Amino acid sequence: MKNKYKNIVITISFMMMITGLMLTNVVIPDKNLSHSERRRLKSMPNLSIKTLLDGQFFEDLESYFLDQFVMRDEFRCLKAISRLYLLNQLDHNDVYIVKNGVYKIEYPLKENSIRHAAYKLNDIYNQYLSGMNVYYSVIPDKNYFVAEKNGYLSMDYELMKDILHTNVENMTYINLFDSLSITDYYRTDIHWRQDKILHVAKKIIKQMNLDDENSDVSYTEKKLYPFYGSYYGQSALPIQPDTITYLTNDMIEKAILYDYESKSYGDVYNPELFDSLDAYSLFLSGPKSLISIENPESTSNKELVLFRDSFGSSIAPLLLEGYAKIYLVDLRYIATDLLGDYIHFRKNQDVLFLYSTEILNNSMMLK
Amino acid sequence: MLFSSISFIYYFLPIVLILYFIVPKKMKNLILLMASLIFYFFGEPIYCILLVFSSLSGYLHGIWIHKLKNTTYKKIPLISSIVIGIGLLMVFKYTNFFIININYIFHSELALLRIVLPIGISFYTFQILSYTIDVYRNEVEVQKNFLNFATYVSLFPQLIAGPIVRYQTIEKELTDRKHSFENFAYGINRFIIGLSKKVLIANTIGEIGEIFASMNEKTVVIYWMMAIGFMLQIYFDFSGYSDMAIGLGRIFGFHFQENFNYPYISKTITEFWRRWHISLGTWFRKYVYIPLGGNRVSYIQWIRNILVVWFLTGFWHGAKWNFIIWGLMFAILLMLEKWILKHLFKRLPSIFSHLYVILIVMLSFVIFNSNSLYESIKNIMGMFGLLKIPFMNQETFYYFRSYLFVLIIAVIGTTPLLKYTIKTIKKYKIGEILTNIVEPFIYIILLLIITGYLIDSSFNPFLYFRF
Repeated sequence: MKNKYKNIVITISFMMMITGLMLTNVVIPDKNLSHSERRRLKSMPNLSIKTLLDGQFFEDLESYFLDQFVMRDEFRCLKAISRLYLLNQLDHNDVYIVKNGVYKIEYPLKENSIRHAAYKLNDIYNQYLSGMNVYYSVIPDKNYFVAEKNGYLSMDYELMKDILHTNVENMTYINLFDSLSITDYYRTDIHWRQDKILHVAKKIIKQMNLDDENSDVSYTEKKLYPFYGSYYGQSALPIQPDTITYLTNDMIEKAILYDYESKSYGDVYNPELFDSLDAYSLFLSGPKSLISIENPESTSNKELVLFRDSFGSSIAPLLLEGYAKIYLVDLRYIATDLLGDYIHFRKNQDVLFLYSTEILNNSMMLK
Repeated sequence: MLFSSISFIYYFLPIVLILYFIVPKKMKNLILLMASLIFYFFGEPIYCILLVFSSLSGYLHGIWIHKLKNTTYKKIPLISSIVIGIGLLMVFKYTNFFIININYIFHSELALLRIVLPIGISFYTFQILSYTIDVYRNEVEVQKNFLNFATYVSLFPQLIAGPIVRYQTIEKELTDRKHSFENFAYGINRFIIGLSKKVLIANTIGEIGEIFASMNEKTVVIYWMMAIGFMLQIYFDFSGYSDMAIGLGRIFGFHFQENFNYPYISKTITEFWRRWHISLGTWFRKYVYIPLGGNRVSYIQWIRNILVVWFLTGFWHGAKWNFIIWGLMFAILLMLEKWILKHLFKRLPSIFSHLYVILIVMLSFVIFNSNSLYESIKNIMGMFGLLKIPFMNQETFYYFRSYLFVLIIAVIGTTPLLKYTIKTIKKYKIGEILTNIVEPFIYIILLLIITGYLIDSSFNPFLYFRF
């Protein structure tokens, strides 16, 4: 090809590309949601003299162009591939891939945050839980199983446990680190898989000295596909989605969920939410500050107060067999001082603090 | 507006290109001017007025100087032009610097002004001054058409981060320039290469700075990574911008002066400054150094000239003491080279002179990149193990591995290796045919990857926007 033709080809292909993409962006209707990124996309900003002169309109306009760009997911994927395989970088937005599983770096260990979490637990104990059976446990994040051995940054989990053991008072520790493996977690999500943690639920029940009479409770598996976990969108890579398998039985289906914030009743599982931005919300209808699950089938009058993060949503139904009622408290959304207004803490209750390492390492969010 | 933004590449540019090439020749400058004002308005809505005022001032002063050109009063409009231009620069860029120093020296409590630095003011002020000074010197014809003059000042390809295009260099092209597929394709090539340098290399390496800032335990290696990273980042960021500017200019038929010529392969600091930010160096040489007498003066006067030029070069980059020290450091080095080092390096293998330049420039950028003198000293101490920190740790090793490849690519990119390789391939008939076939695909693939990076990124301004 002669230089003359090359110049014509370059000129025409460049113009076709930028003009074609501009016209496509203009013609194609805007989207409201990005399922892969689990967020609302920006819409065309409103124009006013103020926003025009202070530059806000143009900032918002650029965000709108970015969000509504045609084939956004494919372009993000192209970037991720370029970064990981062309520039040979180890992670993409802190997200990395090991054997088709997606992981997000949680590093370094923030010792002050772990201490803060321990003091928070102690404060709650002193305020509400004196003399009660109180347990605490830590759910390792996925990095615990893969990061170090694959050359990725891995926080000092032993030091985390040491800090907690040294500082948490009046509570019994339930060790889950040796009960879990990487296959107990979703490949594309941060969370553990409910169908893989029955043994964890049993271990907790056993350590909390509950009668083991219901240990042969059986569950029916229900599957939902495809599940694009929270890391799926962050990785921007074409990874096979997961399947959510949730466990149910008569007892769970008859259980009544009460949301103290919206003052409304519901079911333990809400499969309709599988199609929402966060499919994991099918467990207990997603993040809630304070809910309770009543078990009408229960033969005991014992109650459990579960201080938890989102991991607690999938294990709580499996703990229901031992309790007449479970309170689920998410301290990210409700202040400790308000708890007394909603929960009557008393001696026939067990209390479990069940937090993932991510939350403990960022514990300033606990109110 | 940023060149490296979706709004520029996929909205602004295609609209401007289509309009520019469909209108008749006499309307092309009008389109360019309107586009440039919109481009500037996108980033600096309010300061658009300042840009228009500065253009008007330069235009009227040019005419005034021209009218008095055969009289003894022609210095008056020249001085007026310089006072207004430098005055505006002083007000918007340096006022708070002076207030801080006055407060420090006199223990006063003068309040700082709430002024935001108008983007590109240092660049367009120098361009306007190049015009009025050259009109005064009879080196260029006065521009009587305000549309043409305003187009020159506000021309969006080089408006906000250079190169500093002297009026003299595009005087003819303002009214008579050639448009061709050759120019257009060359412009696209330069634009995409510049965009790749900025988005793929500079922004990626720039992440090392964020990592460095967030590290709890710093190590000797991360201090070095930071220093090498910034040295590469600023080169790819700024030379990338210049490539984009030169490329865009060429699409519209303008030939802007090259701004970089592989500065990191220099053997002396003198050579480095002939290859780095060439348009700024040329401006100071032409309008400050030579008028002061250059090197055709006494030794003492020459030292004064060097110190003045490099003080101003440092100060031009920013209203902070570390920029002044950065500039003066080069003044001292240039003098040392002239007196001692030049003779010393002649006797040594060239690798030593290369290492000397790399090390000096790297340390200079450590000073340049620091927020204070104290931070500069601390960063240099960190590099040489003078802080009580480990040599390496797990975190540093991880990031070292993660950024090693891109750093290697960047280092290769600072040399003319790729250019010579392509040139060698093109010497053969088959090589030329192959490169001609492959080239368009490479540019399109690069543009697609860059689009992916932009879509997945947040705000990424150019480093030289702050000057």
